[in-house]
Amino acid sequence: MNDFASKVKVLRDGQKPEFPPNANTLEYAQSLDAQDQLSHFRDEFIIPTRASLKKKALDGIIPGIQTNGTTTDADTPCIYFVGNSLGAQPKAVRRYLEAQLETWASIGVNGHFSSLSNSPLTPWQDMAADCAAKSAAIVGAADPSEVVIMNTLTVNLHFMLASFYRPTDKRHKIILEWRPFPSDWYAFQSQIEWHGLDPEKSMVEMQPDENLYLSPEKILATIDEHAEDAALLLLPGIQYYTGQLFDIPRITQYAQERGIVVGWDLAHCAGNVELQLHDWNVDFAVWCTYKYLNGGPGSMAGAFVHERHGKVDMSSGKPVFKPRLSGWYGADKSVRFNMDKEFQPTPGAQGFQVSNPSAIDLTSLAAALSVFNKTSMKELRSKALVLTAYTEHLLDEIVRRQPEGEEPAFKIITPRDPLQRGTQLSLLLRDGLMDTVAAALEAHGVVCDKRKPNVIRVAPVPMYCRFEDVWKFMEIFEAAIRG
Amino acid sequence: MSTAAVQDARKQAEALDNEDSIAFVRDEFNIPTKAQIASSRLADSHPAALPASEDDAKCIYLCGNSLGVQPKRTVTRLNQYLTTWATQGVQGHFRPLEESPLPTWLDADAKAAELIAPVVGANVSEVAVMQTLTANIHLLMSAFYRPDINGRHKIILENKAFPSDHFAVETQIRHHGLSTEKSMVLIESSSKDNIISTEEVLSVISAHADTTALLLLPGIQYYTGQLLDIPAITAFAHKHGIFVIWDLAHAVGNVPLYLHDWGVDAAAWCSYKYLNGGPGCIGGLFVHTNNSVVAKEITDEKPEEGYNNRLAGWWGNDKKTRFVMANKFHPVAGAAGFQLSNPSILDITSLSASLEIFQEAGGMEALRSKSLKLTNFLEATLGHMKEEDRAHFRIITPSKSEERGAQLSLMLSDGLLDTVMKELEARGVIVDERKPNVIRVAPAPLYNTFKDCVLFVEAFSAALEVAKQHAL
Repeated sequence: MNDFASKVKVLRDGQKPEFPPNANTLEYAQSLDAQDQLSHFRDEFIIPTRASLKKKALDGIIPGIQTNGTTTDADTPCIYFVGNSLGAQPKAVRRYLEAQLETWASIGVNGHFSSLSNSPLTPWQDMAADCAAKSAAIVGAADPSEVVIMNTLTVNLHFMLASFYRPTDKRHKIILEWRPFPSDWYAFQSQIEWHGLDPEKSMVEMQPDENLYLSPEKILATIDEHAEDAALLLLPGIQYYTGQLFDIPRITQYAQERGIVVGWDLAHCAGNVELQLHDWNVDFAVWCTYKYLNGGPGSMAGAFVHERHGKVDMSSGKPVFKPRLSGWYGADKSVRFNMDKEFQPTPGAQGFQVSNPSAIDLTSLAAALSVFNKTSMKELRSKALVLTAYTEHLLDEIVRRQPEGEEPAFKIITPRDPLQRGTQLSLLLRDGLMDTVAAALEAHGVVCDKRKPNVIRVAPVPMYCRFEDVWKFMEIFEAAIRG
Repeated sequence: MSTAAVQDARKQAEALDNEDSIAFVRDEFNIPTKAQIASSRLADSHPAALPASEDDAKCIYLCGNSLGVQPKRTVTRLNQYLTTWATQGVQGHFRPLEESPLPTWLDADAKAAELIAPVVGANVSEVAVMQTLTANIHLLMSAFYRPDINGRHKIILENKAFPSDHFAVETQIRHHGLSTEKSMVLIESSSKDNIISTEEVLSVISAHADTTALLLLPGIQYYTGQLLDIPAITAFAHKHGIFVIWDLAHAVGNVPLYLHDWGVDAAAWCSYKYLNGGPGCIGGLFVHTNNSVVAKEITDEKPEEGYNNRLAGWWGNDKKTRFVMANKFHPVAGAAGFQLSNPSILDITSLSASLEIFQEAGGMEALRSKSLKLTNFLEATLGHMKEEDRAHFRIITPSKSEERGAQLSLMLSDGLLDTVMKELEARGVIVDERKPNVIRVAPAPLYNTFKDCVLFVEAFSAALEVAKQHAL
């Protein structure tokens, strides 16, 4: 077993791997890259270069594809550690998009029902189902029928809540975490209000400890406390700010045993960590696709609805009504164009569609998902565990190298347990450092995400980042905090 | 058609095409050729590199009421979008590029709103480019349909609404624990072709005035092509305290709209028909200024009482605080406060490219002026078909031009539809069918010609001949 593989094993056991004394060298980083079985996936992506990041106008030059004939330092790819915010562009996207534009231009409206024989695309009416099928393994659906690709994350959240948040006088509370992504907060607030209830009375926020860690004990205790009056528990699989990964199966089971419906916002999980939504019996989940899934800014979102909620009971000849905000596109394909007034939903998650979806959006997503379909979440996660552990190790060393008595330049606020985080590490910088660090990172072609006032998020995603990138990042980062 | 009639029509068409001041706009579009329509393979070369085809080779695409034709510049703009994403990565959200026709991604929705506002006759702050038609209808109803079973709880809509509207209304009613039996009111048409007179609409409103919360109607009825009297109906509904939402799927980009001046409360539409945004392209909504006021600051007491509650998301929050991540929703005033999510930039880029052309063509009045001539010419030419052919179809769209848009719906005699559609396509004509007996023919002013209309009628005559033989 080589170095890489043994580290994966250690990490999957929830332990910290050992790194040798020479870990902080380019040679060592490159040795890990040499052992990385997924390293070739980097070629599937266009990584912005230092030059391209600085360019002021469109000039037709695409990194790695079209050049102006010269190669300088500035043409080296940047260190793109922001795939947790916007994934890099898969090369397949352009190819698929050209096929779609040509299809639209060539056969017009017939594109709904026909595809061209040498095209990577399905007919438009089948694209959403195709993307659902491509997403099933990524989220651990038992079957593509548990997945639907539609709308945007927050709209999907609202549609799911319309079905799954059915408050009664007794059970009306939503249990959430202290700092949900604002969109989720606004969604809860407005859904509660839509039912004529009071957000002040119907939201239960769980507070983290002083390290911003929301412990399992705290979560389970809150569930116990509200076992009788909570209708719904909805958490992010990964907390966007700290990067904490929650124990989805355990929390789901604990809440469901107490009669609480459980949903998950997987914006930072899909394409990042292994998910088994079906086996974990999750009621529903939603996610966006422009982060780790690389669909492009604002690309179409996804939702999961457990098979047990997707059944359509036709035993009486008419579908038994289940609360849902409906539209024609959720109707079964076989009857959709009959223009009947009786709504007969497609069984499964796809019955939650309301409108015919954007074909080019699905095209872009299909291209991005095609890269995922060449590997597995297991392999990606294995690499990510090592990448993030290596990042953490080098960061710890930077702090250790700081002069005695000096306040640490930063603190890692992401859990240290590798199984309680994804790829991302959130660094809380010492007051006053943010601007210097941001400027230095930008000057040296490093792209990270900033959460003002003091947090930067560093996400060396396994699809296209290298150990060498991590090592280079540290050089730049350490110099920046030294001032 | 008789040979003489054909020659006559062709001559007329030629004259009309020559005097058409916006004929130049057709060149902005990639109209499928007959060969392409028949093809089952992708060509090897990039569409922008394909040699410009002779007009003769182009198919007769009269289906823009279902899926609009691709603007050429959409290809260019999407390439530019891909380049921006590839070279800027996440910076594309906020870093402008000089001389790029594309806005930064954070600004894309605002820029798109500027482009769509004149098309629907609204202030820029009254429109938002977002989501899809039915999702928007749900979002609007969630905000503005707040029924009280002891007061106003009914929703009035037409009996033959596009099913999505019907399902949306039904499920909104049921969300509130009400029943369609009590709370859904359907306007039945007394005409066999389902033409709804304004009087019929007003009388249903009158009959349910005190108990009605909402009226939902299509600006243009999808099946018949009828254009409803939006201002009159809206005004009458308002007199009775009813909130009015218009489904403008077939109206937007087709007929001039003055949503603000007409006092329309709210509206929603899709962008892939007359707006040529591409299949399933991002849609839009309109909310009248009166309904989107934000009267309090977030720091005031009970700020939530200063705006109409709605299903919310971060993208509707005041931009100044959007990235501050504070835990209290406070919308920006206007339609933008009804947005929920950062939009698909790919989609918005595609739509924005197409909307540029509307501006260049001179706006909706210029397009309507041509459209009236086109559709009237189509109707007249259909009228010159042989008697024995005309016996097999009827135009069910109103004959008054102020009561219709571009589309004519033709009701065929039983049993002819499938063959007619097949024969039309074999002759390079693309129209839309509504089983069992209707074909919808929509000459779009942006890219169709008077010659297209003649060629359609010729092909239609021939198709009818074949269909009649088969039916024997």
